[in-house]
Amino acid sequence: MRPFQFVRADDAATAVQTVTANPKAKFLAGGTNLVDLMKLGVERPDLLVDLTRLPFDSVDVEADGTVRIGTNVRNSDLAAHPAVRNGLPLLSQALLAGASGQLRNMATVGGNLLQRTRCVYFQDVTKPCNKRQPGSGCPARQGDHRNLAILGASEACIATHPSDMAVALAALDARVAVSGPDGDRETPLAELHALPGEHPEQETTLRHGELITGIAVPPLAYAERSAYRKVRDRASYAFAVASVAAALDVEDGVVRDVRLAFGAVAPKPWRAHAAEDALRGRPATAASFRAAAEAELAAAEPLRDNAFKVPLITNVVVRTLSDLAGETS
Amino acid sequence: MTVSTEVRNRTAGGIGESPVRPDGTFKVTGQFAYSSDLWMDGMLWGATLRSPHPRARITSIDVGPALKLAGVSAVLTHDDVPGEKVYGLEIADQPVLAFDEVRYQGEPVVIVAADHPETARRAAALVVVDYEVVEPVTDPREAVGHPDWKPVHDEPGERTAMSRDRAPVHPHGNIVRHQRIRFGDPDAVTADVVVQGDYEVGMQDQAFLGPESGLAVPADDGGVDLYVATQWLHVDRRQMSGALALPEEKIRLTLAGVGGAFGAREDLSMQVHACMLALRTGRPVKMVYSREESFFGHVHRHPALMRYEHGADRDGRLVYVRAHILLDGGAYTSSTPAVVGNASTLGVGPYDVPNVGMDCWGVYTNNPPCGAMRGFGAVQAAFGYESQMDKLAAAVGLSPVEIRTLNAVSEGSILPTGQRIDSPAPVAELMHRLDAMPLPGSVDQDIRLLPGGVSNTTHGEGVRRGVGYAVGIKNVGFSEGFDDYSTARVRIELVGDEPSVLVHTAAVEVGQGLVTVQAQIARSELGVERVTVAAADTQVGSGGSTSASRQTYVTGGAVRAGCAAVRSSLFERAAARYGPGEFRLVAGKVESLVDGVVGDIASLLLDGPVEHTVQWRHRPTQPLDEATGRGNAHVQWAFCAHRAVVDVDVELGLIRVVELACVQDVGKAMNPDAVLGQIHGGSAQGLGLAVMEEVQVVDGKLRNPSFTDYLMPTIMDMPPMRVEVLELADPHSPYGLRGVGEPPTISSTPAIVAAVRAASGVDLKRVPIRPEHLVAAALCH
Ligand SMILES: Cc1cc2nc3c(=O)[nH]c(=O)nc-3n(C[C@H](O)[C@H](O)[C@H](O)COP(=O)(O)OP(=O)(O)OC[C@H]3O[C@@H](n4cnc5c(N)ncnc54)[C@H](O)[C@@H]3O)c2cc1C
Ligand code: SF4
Repeated sequence: MRPFQFVRADDAATAVQTVTANPKAKFLAGGTNLVDLMKLGVERPDLLVDLTRLPFDSVDVEADGTVRIGTNVRNSDLAAHPAVRNGLPLLSQALLAGASGQLRNMATVGGNLLQRTRCVYFQDVTKPCNKRQPGSGCPARQGDHRNLAILGASEACIATHPSDMAVALAALDARVAVSGPDGDRETPLAELHALPGEHPEQETTLRHGELITGIAVPPLAYAERSAYRKVRDRASYAFAVASVAAALDVEDGVVRDVRLAFGAVAPKPWRAHAAEDALRGRPATAASFRAAAEAELAAAEPLRDNAFKVPLITNVVVRTLSDLAGETS
Repeated sequence: MTVSTEVRNRTAGGIGESPVRPDGTFKVTGQFAYSSDLWMDGMLWGATLRSPHPRARITSIDVGPALKLAGVSAVLTHDDVPGEKVYGLEIADQPVLAFDEVRYQGEPVVIVAADHPETARRAAALVVVDYEVVEPVTDPREAVGHPDWKPVHDEPGERTAMSRDRAPVHPHGNIVRHQRIRFGDPDAVTADVVVQGDYEVGMQDQAFLGPESGLAVPADDGGVDLYVATQWLHVDRRQMSGALALPEEKIRLTLAGVGGAFGAREDLSMQVHACMLALRTGRPVKMVYSREESFFGHVHRHPALMRYEHGADRDGRLVYVRAHILLDGGAYTSSTPAVVGNASTLGVGPYDVPNVGMDCWGVYTNNPPCGAMRGFGAVQAAFGYESQMDKLAAAVGLSPVEIRTLNAVSEGSILPTGQRIDSPAPVAELMHRLDAMPLPGSVDQDIRLLPGGVSNTTHGEGVRRGVGYAVGIKNVGFSEGFDDYSTARVRIELVGDEPSVLVHTAAVEVGQGLVTVQAQIARSELGVERVTVAAADTQVGSGGSTSASRQTYVTGGAVRAGCAAVRSSLFERAAARYGPGEFRLVAGKVESLVDGVVGDIASLLLDGPVEHTVQWRHRPTQPLDEATGRGNAHVQWAFCAHRAVVDVDVELGLIRVVELACVQDVGKAMNPDAVLGQIHGGSAQGLGLAVMEEVQVVDGKLRNPSFTDYLMPTIMDMPPMRVEVLELADPHSPYGLRGVGEPPTISSTPAIVAAVRAASGVDLKRVPIRPEHLVAAALCH
């Protein structure tokens, strides 16, 4: 690891200023992703600004039902919070499906959203990678891409975003609260992560020095009828091969509304709008669920070793929605 | 030498019991000192610079920038290797530090000693190595038969004392060993029913928890003391002696706490490097690999490509087996010759086959070196032949149990090497017992126990149950004419007023319970409960390797023989004291067979201690004929069978192993708890290979060198087990025991795969199975 300086921020403004002033500075939250990447030489910050003393550590439910979550709330605590466990099952399930108990005790909201891809070339500094070293090439397209994207990728990069939590938040239309050198702003989560296009190195729409202070989850009437399902290579403690976050509102056997997002198939948590559109007003049957998944996946560009994700995610969608339909009818 | 065959079991804590192991409490409470915990005041830290390329020519190495870093004491290259520049278990071809060429990613090139581990790592990063990158040979098929064939080595390696007599020193370039088996008339024979299959085994890692580590301390006599976690102290020393140009007496090894081995410590890792740095700097040097480095610092299980053809009559009785097995040995020889020996001689499994034609190759490539891992050779072949037995069963309309019992070997069977099985071989009984065990209940309602585990992927929909069987065979001990022995020093004396026994061997405890078993043997043989097992070191003769399931057999045999020698001396004293007669020693007393208790052992020791050191070897074996594979190559066989019950979510490709049932013949359960531990652990390692464990190598480069990305079963993946242990004594072995450690690893993999095939209907050809193998195949239905 390269030598670096470490400071602990006591207030958000100082944290933002300190990082803004130094192009090689980074925020440090739970450290479960950043420190690993520093050991691998992928991240090479000069200065780390520790955020964990900042006062963004509560979960509050507002009068209109909006749930506000401070960035420093640990993934374990968030999953266990009654408002989340009872009111937003898909989010609680997504959090609990991620990593291990020990990691969830450290991991934070902001860190989870901004964790980097698990693409093996990205993590291996001896290999070219457009995301790590713009213009150097993307060996994954020909090489090891079994875990990589079938949706939203580009010629330059086919990496997937690995977060489980973010998939649930995408389905919930969450907003991200950001504090920057020019003040505070809020952005839809859907606009936090960027698609790679020709610039896979630009992963988010945050500017250097902008700090995530929390997220807001707007109320969703049928959020209690929601679920997160994750396929992975072992029973626990592994990243997703494919995952689905869903919430379903059915009346008289017809889908009144639906939220659907996919994980581990795209460079960002993938909100499946095409599938949602295809489903609204249709009968809540396995056949419509399959047709909806297929509508979304019409745009899929599978590669040699990840083509299995197309039928896999379809099956997960059908399975999850059928289950939710069963619960509501 | 008088060796009692009667088991004296009335002394507490003797054989057949499960006394508390001395290291157990320390290990579970975190107090046990592993080799990575070694510490000495004033010590330096070593670090290794490794090749980033699977294959490249080294054009220059500039250590200057590293030497300039404050805190750095030494930066060494191949030029600094005092003696032989290459080492190896059987064939010396692996450079201590790379010269001219690197042949795998992670090959050590430069070593550094500094006053802080981080300084050492930074200094290593400052060394400038110029490489001319060469395209690596990464496909073992290409390695042996490509039109523009590229040899991985220019010069053949040196044969060492451990070389198998018939192991050719790769005269054909990339072939480490080609072993043929020709039994009966395999070429001409035909059969009514023929089944064929191609099978593939991925590269598994031993994945021990304690990374490679040790502490080298320079000694006043110009020699060096090394404290290290390893599997065989004396063979380490022999290789170190060549590389360090020191006589063996000047290199003293002491075993440090070993955090698992499974074969991965059989080759050298940091041993020579730490000693070179210690000798150069005159200071103690500690080296500890990180988890990532550990993946590059030890050999892995050979990946295998196999093609099998089985012919049988209409009743399912085997007529012939023809097979090709190609094992990727990676860049250096390591144990490849022995792996080829096992895969070929055990390649048809525990079955009577009148005609066998088998060709097994171990080859060089620029992939990571592969070598010893639990069950080597036998594990790969078993996936092939057991898959075939199920195919054959289906073709002739028999059940998996029927096809296996019909063809099972038994005592007296002739193996394809011409060797007769001259001890119990209860293969049919293992199968019958498995078959008789109750099956677990229907699909579980606890979703954590369904495929997908805690991921909540199913509530039972899409889940199908499958049951599969497999049986395996493994040789115990070193085969093919190797002089396999162990040494034990046994001393009895009064400590306080009590008789006390000291057992001293160089045999390595890797966590399997060898220390406990040595003490149990001494208690039973000498009738003394107070037994101390001294730390393993090179102050006593070789104990041989802790591998090939051999230590309880061979070192156990040596301890028993040592005790017998001590007992004879004690009986002489007893005869002098109590008059001539036949005696025995039980629970601290001396018993005359005629008069009962005549005195206590303590009184025999008033004349002073008794000590004997003995060497003990198992009966000799023979090399294999290179062209036909004939030869009595093995000393003992061990058999184990599994039944796997799985639930498969066929839509999502997820597998839950619901239960593993296992029956194993252990000859004699020396320590029943330890036997169960081996069966559970070995079965879990086989489960890992079946459904998730694989070192992923693309273009010669490791893609998942971490425990985040190299997936092993967790407790969520490992099901409960039903275990039955048989004790059918082998008349040739001490106490009738059989090696226990490897057999359960062999049959659990094919049993699980068979169960997944049964559940999903998918013809699986490769392990580990991944979701895509099931989902993609389901699409085609
Ligand atoms: C073995 C292992 C298994 C895992 N398995 C899973 C899994 O199955 N599913 C899953 O979803 N995740 C998994 N993870 C990833 C884990 O969830 C993330 O590492 C974790 O959520 C990151 O949070 P953190 O607080 O530790 O972030 P850090 O590592 O501290 O930071 C990550 C990044 O976010 C930036 N950052 C952090 N906080 C802020 C902020 N407030 N504002 C702006 N930038 C910020 C940092 O600068 C850094 O770039 C796994 C990780 C490991 C090591
Ligand atoms: S997929 Fe993206 S992250 Fe992976 S190698 Fe290509 S550019 Fe790099």
